[in-house]
Amino acid sequence: MLSQFDYVKPLVLDEALDVLSRDTDTYILAGGTDLLIMLRHELINARHILDIKAIPELKVFSYVEGKGLEIGANVVVNKLIESEVVRDNYKALHDAASCLASYQLRNRATLVGNICNASPGADLPPALLIYNATVKIASKDGVRTVPLKEFFTGVKKTQLTKHELVVSVFLPEPGQDDDSCYLRQTRLKGHDLSTVGVACRIDKNGKACIGINAVAITPLRLTALEDELNAKGITEESILWAADEIKNHIRPISDVRSSKEYRLHMAGVLFKRCMMQLMDKEA
Amino acid sequence: MTHSELDQCTYQAHGNYESSYKHVGQPYVRKDALEKVTGQARYAFDLEMPGMLYAKTLHSPHARAKIVRIDKSKAEALLGVKAVVCGEDCDTRVGLYMQDKLAIATCETRYQGEVVAAVAATTEAIAERAVSLIEVEYEVLEPVRNLDDALAAKILVHENIAEIKHVEGVFFPQPESNIASLNRSLKGDPDAGFADADLVLENKFTLPAVAHVPLETHVAIVAADPFTDRIRIWSSAQSPFALRQLMAWSFNVKESDIEVHVPYVGGAFGGKAGIHLEPLIAILSRASGGAPVKLRMTREQEFNYLPTRAGMRGKIKTGVKKDGTIVASDIVYDWDSGAYADYGVNVGKTAVYGGLGPYDIDNAAIVSNTVYTNKVFSTAYRGFGHLETLWTVERQMDILSQKLGIDPYEFRMKNILRPGATTISGELVTESTGSPSDCLSAVVKEIGWTGRKSEEDRKREWKTGKIRGKGFAMIQKAPAMPPSTATAVILQMAGDGHIKMMIGAIDYGQGALTAMAQIVAQELDIPMEMVEVVTETNTQTNPYDWNTVASKYTFMGGNATIQACGKMLDQMKDIAGQALHCAPEFLTHGGGYIYNVHRPDRRVAYKDMSLGYAYPDGNGIGGPLIAHGICMADGLTNLDPKTGAGSPALAWTFGAHAVDIEVDVESGNITVLKVASAFDIGQVINERMVYGQVVGGVMQGIGSAILEGYKFSPDNVLMNPSFTDNKIPTMKDMPVEVVPIYIENPQLNGPYGARGVAEHTMISIPSAIGNALYDALGINYYHLPLTPENVALGIISGEKDIY
Repeated sequence: MLSQFDYVKPLVLDEALDVLSRDTDTYILAGGTDLLIMLRHELINARHILDIKAIPELKVFSYVEGKGLEIGANVVVNKLIESEVVRDNYKALHDAASCLASYQLRNRATLVGNICNASPGADLPPALLIYNATVKIASKDGVRTVPLKEFFTGVKKTQLTKHELVVSVFLPEPGQDDDSCYLRQTRLKGHDLSTVGVACRIDKNGKACIGINAVAITPLRLTALEDELNAKGITEESILWAADEIKNHIRPISDVRSSKEYRLHMAGVLFKRCMMQLMDKEA
Repeated sequence: MTHSELDQCTYQAHGNYESSYKHVGQPYVRKDALEKVTGQARYAFDLEMPGMLYAKTLHSPHARAKIVRIDKSKAEALLGVKAVVCGEDCDTRVGLYMQDKLAIATCETRYQGEVVAAVAATTEAIAERAVSLIEVEYEVLEPVRNLDDALAAKILVHENIAEIKHVEGVFFPQPESNIASLNRSLKGDPDAGFADADLVLENKFTLPAVAHVPLETHVAIVAADPFTDRIRIWSSAQSPFALRQLMAWSFNVKESDIEVHVPYVGGAFGGKAGIHLEPLIAILSRASGGAPVKLRMTREQEFNYLPTRAGMRGKIKTGVKKDGTIVASDIVYDWDSGAYADYGVNVGKTAVYGGLGPYDIDNAAIVSNTVYTNKVFSTAYRGFGHLETLWTVERQMDILSQKLGIDPYEFRMKNILRPGATTISGELVTESTGSPSDCLSAVVKEIGWTGRKSEEDRKREWKTGKIRGKGFAMIQKAPAMPPSTATAVILQMAGDGHIKMMIGAIDYGQGALTAMAQIVAQELDIPMEMVEVVTETNTQTNPYDWNTVASKYTFMGGNATIQACGKMLDQMKDIAGQALHCAPEFLTHGGGYIYNVHRPDRRVAYKDMSLGYAYPDGNGIGGPLIAHGICMADGLTNLDPKTGAGSPALAWTFGAHAVDIEVDVESGNITVLKVASAFDIGQVINERMVYGQVVGGVMQGIGSAILEGYKFSPDNVLMNPSFTDNKIPTMKDMPVEVVPIYIENPQLNGPYGARGVAEHTMISIPSAIGNALYDALGINYYHLPLTPENVALGIISGEKDIY
């Protein structure tokens, strides 16, 4: 590792925001599971590392019935898996968290880190997108909230500026009779990045929501396809139609992990399996 | 035991094995287990020395380039840097069978990842920073991308191939080409055989390079005195004595000037045989005034810089009669060995006697080309080419049986090697050669093979989304080693009657320490706790062993140990005879005593003779008990360069795998439900460790079958240079069930009849899975790995042959 940096571990959020406003080349350390790889592979030259693990506001993990769930920047992925709230109300997120990396990494990796790293193939975003997650962003100038859908701007790019940090992600209350799941294809059964991952939700009004990763420059919510599918009504026939149609809504590339052809194929297969699984459970 | 067929087959599964010996065959826990699981075992990675420096290396980003200029000045100016070396500072040539490599690339780089400069500094961080300050200007050249480029020979990876020093008469570099060695074998008259055939089938099978991935990456410490020839090495290496010899060749010094220490090694799989980091570190140490210098590889360096298993293409043409008799076989193996020959040429050579499959074929020809390309180079890897050649042969056998409409089990049994047959090298198969048919029958029975699925079965199962398939494949392998390979062991008895044993081999996981201890316990009839095999092997005190490779140590080390024990017993009988006033022929041993066969109460304890025997009056006879044993390979010869005729095999180990898999017809995911693996190993030495070999080998074979493979960009830059995209199987990828089957047709010259079984367990797993995939889907796949993607896209294509 060639980066030579100073290391700051503030105890209050204001101090962290001060550091961010002062030093533009600051990298935030929460779980560190992506940061350490970037440092080791010399992908970044960090001058300042801001460790946010000691900031109490960022440890928030609170569910208010009727409103929703707020997940702070320090909440690690294994905490999501252990949470009954997540398991009962946001099943796709529970599924996605359960297959992210390995147990040891999930003890360090955070949900907020997973979105801030903005990998197109990240496991958690599809599940967050179908629940209309919002992102709470803080800086010296104040707090703003943006929909997760607008948060991603490109491969490893977000609308976060160098002076900002993500405080938490908020998932609105889904209500009764809401169900979801996440399925993904990988190269092996053990710990791997997803080749394609699909999250589907059928909400209390019987409307489908679709999130997907590794098929475009950012994780996607397929709203246009959702609209067409919901207009047809969710039936086995319309699911098969949408499983075929999904390829017109995504733009995967061929890379070392998979060919474009296989990603297009598996997007349809996984979508179909998610929806059939939800239909079966309903029946 | 006679060669039994399917219905008479007998075998012992895990847990049911019963040995007729007191110690040999018993499932002892590994001697090194406690030390390793408690973290006390010391590896080269752990070693630190007074005054030690740390090295880091700079690697070429280009597959083929001229080095136009190197500027070391900024690196040299950094505080804490003791030496910066590049190609122009040394001309150390390195090589096993061909001295085709420089310790540091000079003038030209031949693969992306090759070392172009190195630094020694007081800390690893300083060394790393210094490396980043070295400026290198390259003139990028067009690379030799693949086998086709290489065989076209428009660009030569080594311009001077005819001048490369090599082992003559064994390897045959072709002038003005990229062929590092062309080896061939010929038996009978293949042309006449093909003319006589009812069906001639030609196919091409391919597989990519894969990585060894030992838990401990390559690491070594070298202290090279700049004022004398002395070089001291501590290395994570398989073969201290081979390393000593190769270092002496490279530095043009006496072997006795080189000292090699090998502590515990954290896995190797062939990747730590021969010589790797040591010459480079010796250069750095000399340039640093002789300080010990440590260089440890990162996982990424393992993938980019250190050697692989070669990619391979097998072109096979087989002639058969309608009744299934194979009348001719003609095979060309092309090995994509990368930039340097290393062990790769020997893998290529081995294919001409190990690459036909365990079949009795009167007319057969094999040509094996080890080919240079501008890729990371290849070396030995568990299986030594047999996984690759049997991917070709055993898939071809399956496809032939499809074309002939004969059951694949019957087809193999019709052609299988039996006593009286000869191999392609002309070796006579006897009752003690081991029985491939016993192995095949056992595994076919174990998975309940009743013949291939019909098209109707497939259609019915297709609707469920998942299809089961069964397949099997044969295994054969003999040690690849020089005909005059030798090993030696030394036993010393301590005052308390314990044996301290020294061997020249390295136990890098295979269990040599425990197996040899069991043989000592058996021969001397003492408890296992009274035998200790010394674990740090070094060339200063340990007896010689050629190389810890080739799955031959149980055989050779075992024979040497039996001999040493016999000599120690003879010494004790000599002393006891004097003490008991009895001729040695009336003495025997047991329970730690030498005793009179007619008067068992007249006896002397081993421990009372261990340091010399003292009479009651204090007078002493005998002396400290030390015995040595040797094993020299017997009856082997080099192969005829034109026909491959000769005696290459110390012992063949035959085997077979059968698999039961389930394929997801949409995703292409393969789940391995069951693997049955049978090996004719002659005699189980330690059932627990054989089982470990089987499970480990099966897993590694599954990696080659459905997952692993290097991927290169059009510029021959490695695209999966880390664990992110260069995957190996995990616990979750294990088969649901692995059933090991040990066949024990004894090898007359093996210890207790034993043959080696280590590499073998990995071989042919891909072939068996490929054959099962045909059973499931009715599709033939010709390229590895059988990833979900390759399987699914094959299904979608609607084709029946996927290349």
